[in-house]
Amino acid sequence: MNQTQSYLARAEALLEPWLAKTERPTDNRLDIWLSPDDLLPVVATLVAGEWGYLAAITGLDPGLATGQLHVLYHFAEGAAVVTLRVATPRDAAAVPTIRPLIPLAAMYEQELIEVLGVAVIGAPERGRLFLADDWPVGVYPLRKDFQPEQLDKESVP
Amino acid sequence: MNAPATERFVVPIGPQHPALKEPGHFEFTVEGETVVDATVRLGYAHRGIEKGAEGRNWTQTLYLIERICGICSHIHSTAYAVGVEQLAEVEVPARAQAIREIICELERVHSHLLWLGVAAHDAGFDTLFMYTWRDRETVMDILETMSGNRVHYSANVLGGVKFDLTDESAVAILKGVEFLEERTHHYRKVVSEDAFFLQRTRGVGTMTHAEALALGVVGPTARASGVARDVRLDAPYVAYADFPARIQLLTAGDLEARFLARLDELLDSFRLIRVLVAGLPAGELTAKRMPRKLKPGEVISRVEAPRGELFYYIRSTGGEQPDRVKVRTPTLCNMGSVITQTIGHNLADVPMILVGIDPCFSCNDRAVTVRRAGDDNGRAWAWADLRRYGIDYYRRIRN
Repeated sequence: MNQTQSYLARAEALLEPWLAKTERPTDNRLDIWLSPDDLLPVVATLVAGEWGYLAAITGLDPGLATGQLHVLYHFAEGAAVVTLRVATPRDAAAVPTIRPLIPLAAMYEQELIEVLGVAVIGAPERGRLFLADDWPVGVYPLRKDFQPEQLDKESVP
Repeated sequence: MNAPATERFVVPIGPQHPALKEPGHFEFTVEGETVVDATVRLGYAHRGIEKGAEGRNWTQTLYLIERICGICSHIHSTAYAVGVEQLAEVEVPARAQAIREIICELERVHSHLLWLGVAAHDAGFDTLFMYTWRDRETVMDILETMSGNRVHYSANVLGGVKFDLTDESAVAILKGVEFLEERTHHYRKVVSEDAFFLQRTRGVGTMTHAEALALGVVGPTARASGVARDVRLDAPYVAYADFPARIQLLTAGDLEARFLARLDELLDSFRLIRVLVAGLPAGELTAKRMPRKLKPGEVISRVEAPRGELFYYIRSTGGEQPDRVKVRTPTLCNMGSVITQTIGHNLADVPMILVGIDPCFSCNDRAVTVRRAGDDNGRAWAWADLRRYGIDYYRRIRN
């Protein structure tokens, strides 16, 4: 077993209770589908087990038809990447904050809030980090139903 | 700044400077000399590139991606190209991968030399600034000889590279590298021996190994604190498996270590460039065929930019356009550490701590307003004034 596979095996051993739905898209990756409720215990287990580091959080709009938004938490160790995939309903998109466990996540979560309109529960209310001050409220550029015309309506900071 | 130590001031830095790109805004709350709180506001240069990628085809997006950064354009296009090629299951010829790696390393050289100059300037050491930027022209000329361009070399196409390494370029590279190596040894001596410079760097902005891990910093900033992570070694891309880099680790974790880590990386890049030029594999420059439409799937592409790990997530739903391109740049990871590190330090150290992470830095020169917290009657400072304040502060305590 090479090092990448042993990293992934260790992740699987750590996260054993949450492996109901997994995929192996490539040799070096393990994707785990989670409900938003399971996110915190899983991240806490990875952090406590010192497995890798949070490389990025990707917010994803899989299309209107799905009625969902996806949030992907990518953890990397060597060449191995474990992605925690959380689906949340589009009209009430929300995930819990992981910043008490990983302070750096604050930057990534703020991006998620602003560009995809996913509420991050437990994140302190703060001004914008990425979008312009006069960007209209409730308009999220990375959603698939975003239309540039939405920017023409009077913006309310 | 003659306020009693208990009085708090907010020092906003930024965001504008008309001549430079990528502005940012910081607010440092100071109590006397000491920074007690800090916040950051980014986004002034948010251009919607991730959204823009959704409306362009796979090839057009390559050129868009290349324009994310004016310093490390090649590493962005490499991360994207490597990812898309993996999605398309296209095998890129070994020669093309090696040429990509040569340009990656030349780009690291130009980026680190640029940084060294800016950092020296912020420490008030303008002679070093002028010398490094003069020397940096050597690598800019090499890149221009190879590609025709100084900044957007545009070396990558999906499936390979645009130009070969000609004999003329190879001679220029080897000659330039020899000169720069000698200069880099000299600079390494300067930053580790000059007493005045060390006053600004040694023991300043120290980040322990544990703090670096907790803060999630990447690249030379992390390696200066002993974090043994380098994507070139951890997850080799392009030709790094055949032509490996050597990790440059230091343990001190202060600003001096961050200078030495980057200078050591320069020396390793020179070694690696020589090895690549000598051992360049023969073969084609592009894959036989690169499909225009890609099948559904998603890919994660990680590369080591000059500032640290650069992360790409690319998703295809089948077709000619990407469905999502997510870019996480290294400066975003390192920015959080500036906020944490400056707390407890002197305001005079802020410019150096900020420069220590090598933020995408053309935005160095800003407007600063110093005002009493809760009072709008402030006096305005430029970034140059804060820099001057830092230099004068250390001159005062020296005497």
